Amino acid sequence: MTKFWLITLRECKERLQQRGFWWMLILGPVVVLLLLWLLLFAADQGKEKVKVLIADPGQIMGHVVMAQQEKYVEYYFLDAYLEIEEFKKAKAYQDFDVLLELNEKVLNNKKCFVFYRDQLSLDTRMQLKFEVERRLEEILAQQFSRLSMQAFRSIKQGLIFDFRDLADPKNESKDTSSWVGFGFGAFLLLFVGIYGMTIFRATVKEKSNRIVEVLLASVKPQELMLGKIAGVAIVALLQLIGWILVLSLGFWILKQYVVIDFLDPAYWQDANSMRSNPLSKFIFEELRIGFVLLHFLLFFLASFFFYGAIFSVLGSRSSADSDGQQFLIPLLLVIIMGLVAGVFYILYPAAALSKVLSYLPFTSPVIALIQLAQGPSLAVYMQLVLSWVLLVILSFALLWLAGRWYKKTILKF
Amino acid sequence: MIQLEAITKSYQRKLVLDDVSLQLAEGQIYGLLGPNGAGKTTLIRILNQMIIPDAGQVYFQNKPMQAQHLQHIGYLPEERGLYKNMSVAEQLLFLARIRGLSKIDAQQNVQKWLVHFDIESWQNKRISTLSKGMAQKVQFIAALVHEPSLLILDEPLSGFDPMNVELIMNEIKSLKAKGCTILLSTHNMKSVDEICDAATLLHEGKVLAQDSIWNLRNQSAQAEIEVRFKGHMLAFANALWTDFELVQQTELQEGYFDCLLRIRGERTVNDLMRSLQDQVAVERIEKRLPSMQEVFIDLISKKQTSHD
Repeated sequence: MTKFWLITLRECKERLQQRGFWWMLILGPVVVLLLLWLLLFAADQGKEKVKVLIADPGQIMGHVVMAQQEKYVEYYFLDAYLEIEEFKKAKAYQDFDVLLELNEKVLNNKKCFVFYRDQLSLDTRMQLKFEVERRLEEILAQQFSRLSMQAFRSIKQGLIFDFRDLADPKNESKDTSSWVGFGFGAFLLLFVGIYGMTIFRATVKEKSNRIVEVLLASVKPQELMLGKIAGVAIVALLQLIGWILVLSLGFWILKQYVVIDFLDPAYWQDANSMRSNPLSKFIFEELRIGFVLLHFLLFFLASFFFYGAIFSVLGSRSSADSDGQQFLIPLLLVIIMGLVAGVFYILYPAAALSKVLSYLPFTSPVIALIQLAQGPSLAVYMQLVLSWVLLVILSFALLWLAGRWYKKTILKF
Repeated sequence: MIQLEAITKSYQRKLVLDDVSLQLAEGQIYGLLGPNGAGKTTLIRILNQMIIPDAGQVYFQNKPMQAQHLQHIGYLPEERGLYKNMSVAEQLLFLARIRGLSKIDAQQNVQKWLVHFDIESWQNKRISTLSKGMAQKVQFIAALVHEPSLLILDEPLSGFDPMNVELIMNEIKSLKAKGCTILLSTHNMKSVDEICDAATLLHEGKVLAQDSIWNLRNQSAQAEIEVRFKGHMLAFANALWTDFELVQQTELQEGYFDCLLRIRGERTVNDLMRSLQDQVAVERIEKRLPSMQEVFIDLISKKQTSHD
């Protein structure tokens, strides 16, 4: 076994023996789930009445919507097309919160657009979808089928509701997929930041307790540095996989038991209602989770070695934790800059700066994950591969450079 | 065994080692002496290939030293450290393997040395639970667990109580008897007197003196002669003339004296005996060699005086 692997395994073993690792493995995802539950809970509170204007030029719905017990959503009909800009600005429509656009082809293409002034709660979305969908089902069943309503519902294809902000009708900024990708990116940077700090502390510790002098009599400084980064990277990956497993289990429990109120099909008397949550629909149906996870792993490893090299050098220059703080703050700001770059890319994907940011090693991992979640075209995917290759090349270059700095500074006490 | 030829090293234009050469014969205990900042640690790091010299060459068994030779070297640095969360056995196993032993050999050697030092019961203890002395012992084992042919010990006795100092000294002698070559860097001059065969004294990066311990002590101007005689003190003092300096005199009883003399110039004990034979009745005469401590202080003081 090479010395590199001996160092890597020692690092791994030491971190896995720490209680903090196991606490983080359980507590981290639990806190995330708790926050998610609080968000869902908060979104369900303070229901207000929502006025929905249905623009139905073909009079498909015939001014009828399914009767309901709790009238949180009120429907009004307009038998004509309505431009979004007009709905947005005209005085006559200011009382309406939502515009539901039903074109004549809705019965064929099964898609309708919903424009809202203020963000709608999940509950309101569910109710709106349920009620409109039920009415359209009735019409479909009457017009195109001799089946009973019950038989029709068992084979029917769900209607797609595309919710869009009036301020952003093309859905450039609020695209769920972008934000899911951003979430992956944030996750990546969070782990790189946390475990980068681990590399920094481990290096400082070895230096301050002077065992580094014994180690360097047997291994090259570069070997020691790489072994340390690799060992911590493996632990970070294990933690990450653990988080994914615990979070998946948590999501399943949330769906099954905790937020059953509005996710349970029985609650909506509709087996398809659960799929109508845009987030869960995206995650479970549209997002190619394996594809994104594979690329997440590739970008995670490349950026971990990139940042790991920097954290190692900072550690080798410091004799105590406190010595390195002055260098760590700018580095953590650079990591945060990666997140800011992600938001910038979602808001202004066509900007020249977005193009630059997608190649910069500090920002490219977050942007790449956003692009992957959006479902990249071949051209975008090629650009993404290029940015990864660039990141890997720069990581190797930085590791080589860091190895030289590390060698020079590690023995300066 | 190992040879350093004209080693020179500077840090940021400051010359730390200036044309240093030395040679360690196989099975020898070689002292590397010098005040703080003399360049001992830099020299040791060069031997361990942690630092590359600006000029000069290191030879290991008559071949230019390479990375693979490091597995034949054991090193106990002055500033010691261990991984506090590891157990004693894990720590020793890791360090033995880093030095190139296979897993099986490493396990066997660790057990052997733990038994040898009678500390098998510590093997599952975490380093953080050991006292400083106990940890020092583990560090000493770590330096020789892979059974090196060259052992570099930087202040191996610091931090040990007198019992353990004795234990380590005996262990060093026993390693020498088994053929291990040892480079000993220390400020403990008593240990140099006791166990070293030869030494180099470094001062400000330069070799100030280099020889066998016997020659270093014998050649020192600090050599003194103890004389016991029966007779008159005045006659004794007159006989010394200007060739010997009377440093100390003690009257043991009437007409009996113990005196301590220091030789001036190139005079010998024979010259002294010739001067005294017709003046007093010499009962005992002995040349007392200076300790390495005295040699060290004398050489450094002279160097500093010449600087002034």
